[in-house]
Amino acid sequence: MSDGNGPIAAARADGRTLLTEVESKQLLHDAGINVTQARLATSADDAVAAADDIGYPAVLKVVSGDIAHKSDVGGVELNLGDGDSVRAAYDRMMSAVAENAPGSSVDGVSVQQMAAQGTEVIIGTTTDPQFGPVLAFGLGGIMVEVLRDVAFRIVPLEARDARQVVREIRGYPVLEGVRGQPGADLDALEAMILQVSEFANDHPEVAELDLNPVFAYPDGAIAVDARVVLAEE
Amino acid sequence: MAVDRDRLHRTLTPRSVAVVGAKGPDFGWLENNRDFVGPLYSVQLDPNEITEIEKRGFTNYLKLEEVPEDIDLVICAVPRPIVPFIVSDSIKKNVGGMAIFSAGFAETGEEEATELQDRIVQLANDAGMPIVGPNCMGVYNRRQGVKFSDGVDHGDGGTVSIMGQSGTHTIGATTMAQRVGIPVSRGISFGNAVVVNEADYIEYLRDDPDTQVIGVYLEGLKDGRRFFEALRSTTPKKPVVIWKGGQTAAGQRATRSHTASLATPMATWNALLAQTGAIPANSVDELVDVLQVLVHTTPPRGRRLALMAMTGGQSVAISDAVGRQGLEVPELADKTYETIGEFFNVIGGSFRNPFDMANTIGMAGDSANLARIMNAVSEDPNIDAMVFEVAAGFFSRMWRDEPERLDEMLDTLDGFRERTGLPIVTVMHAGAIDDEVIPIRDQVVARGFAVFPSFDRAALALSRVINYYEWVDEAG
Repeated sequence: MSDGNGPIAAARADGRTLLTEVESKQLLHDAGINVTQARLATSADDAVAAADDIGYPAVLKVVSGDIAHKSDVGGVELNLGDGDSVRAAYDRMMSAVAENAPGSSVDGVSVQQMAAQGTEVIIGTTTDPQFGPVLAFGLGGIMVEVLRDVAFRIVPLEARDARQVVREIRGYPVLEGVRGQPGADLDALEAMILQVSEFANDHPEVAELDLNPVFAYPDGAIAVDARVVLAEE
Repeated sequence: MAVDRDRLHRTLTPRSVAVVGAKGPDFGWLENNRDFVGPLYSVQLDPNEITEIEKRGFTNYLKLEEVPEDIDLVICAVPRPIVPFIVSDSIKKNVGGMAIFSAGFAETGEEEATELQDRIVQLANDAGMPIVGPNCMGVYNRRQGVKFSDGVDHGDGGTVSIMGQSGTHTIGATTMAQRVGIPVSRGISFGNAVVVNEADYIEYLRDDPDTQVIGVYLEGLKDGRRFFEALRSTTPKKPVVIWKGGQTAAGQRATRSHTASLATPMATWNALLAQTGAIPANSVDELVDVLQVLVHTTPPRGRRLALMAMTGGQSVAISDAVGRQGLEVPELADKTYETIGEFFNVIGGSFRNPFDMANTIGMAGDSANLARIMNAVSEDPNIDAMVFEVAAGFFSRMWRDEPERLDEMLDTLDGFRERTGLPIVTVMHAGAIDDEVIPIRDQVVARGFAVFPSFDRAALALSRVINYYEWVDEAG
């Protein structure tokens, strides 16, 4: 797939391998993957205008090639109900980032729609030196970090692989719905897994991809954060 | 490099062979190939070796190019610094390909040795000549009588091919398979796999009419992606059983010095197994066990088993063994129970499935009762396969005194197999009478039955094959 003047070309032109969240989401959105809308804003006014456009409640996240874990440095503000909250959050974030990650180059903030909380899952890819892209699927949050409850498949996946990988994790009953909670939309998750597989297969220049978290709903699923890392040239 | 399929075929199915560098005292590479159906030549410069080679009746030449005939396979057993010269000679002679036994290349970790290997690879790739190895036992072809060990058979038949990165394991699996009645049509021991790699061999065997089942021992992958794709295109047609060496940190360190292989993370390996339907094995025993089920039974299509044990204790052991592998032991149909209930001795016995039936069919019982039980079970709709205990510990004295009773039992099993078309595997636990068990086992093997030394091994092998056919049916 060509990416003549898209996010990959932009990152390459800057000599970066880490795409910003806005770039990552743009790339995945173009590939037909359901991600929350994100727009880059470089001033408080910009941010308010973007939020007015996308709709409330809004989320702000710092955009910086130097910062991988945004929430650790005060670079994430959630559930902003109106323009004034967006403006205040913007200013708070700029001082927090300057204090907690001094010297980082900050391109602005990404203004996003606030997605309703769903069951958190992750979908990602890494590159194996022998097999090329390998896809990982798991429950999000502590399930993936502490229990390593993740299942893998070599890209490209077939429909049956997507079906199996979702059912292979130990936490699968959570997705089926427990204690009266509605289950997750497995068809939507499997479809997203196949889209990510196709994306990784079509983009050998992508070394790593993380959709973390993806919110799975009883009806549909959406990635609310995305991170793309390119291979060294 | 894309391997030239015709030349690879000549290498693996040679009509003429030259052994370069055969040495005393045993001249194994020549002696092993005495049965070879085509012309076999020796190439050796050393006058001391030549005398003995000619005394043994082999024709020797000083140089490969002096051999008057076209050569399909060169078996190269010279010391490593000489190998590039033999590779060049083989290219000049336009042979089909080479199997290089010589070792001491990248697997040593030495820079010089790795460079030497690179030179060989470069020469072969430039000329489009396939090389099996180096650092391997090379080629076995049952029909052609090309042998990588004196323990492998020459003859017709065989549907299984074994390919492996270790000579020991490739030869071991081949001879162990032979021992349990599975002739192996091809063996390929391919060591460092630097010119022809694992993906090439799988593709070759996928398309090979002499191969219906593939057994693999692998330590590392030279071309993981192509191997993955080659496997995916093979398993819907032919089952592939893979024993992966180097599953632990210590094992991975060993594979590095054995075949210069890079480790594959087990999570990725397990993904490959799930996606390709390749059947995993964790030892040469498991590999051959799975081959037994694949070759000696019809494809199992279901996990409900009839369990035919001889004693109460064994009926419990066999049930736990299959239960641990996710196999089922269903109740039988009322009609089956009615029929068997008419004659079955329930004092010290049971026929509810699992069966505990020695008292009904053995010394105290009527030997025709086994046939009556098996007839009834063969009509039962709840059964997909059978595990049958050949209780040598119980019956060996009787079978020694009245050998016809063992024949009769095997006839009955055969009849069940014929009538139902269902898979049936047998278990013979050696207990404390292993010397008595061997001749009995040979008779069971001679009748073409899968025979396992324990319930656990039977259950594991059967479940792996059942999983495979479920995969095939699902992948459709």
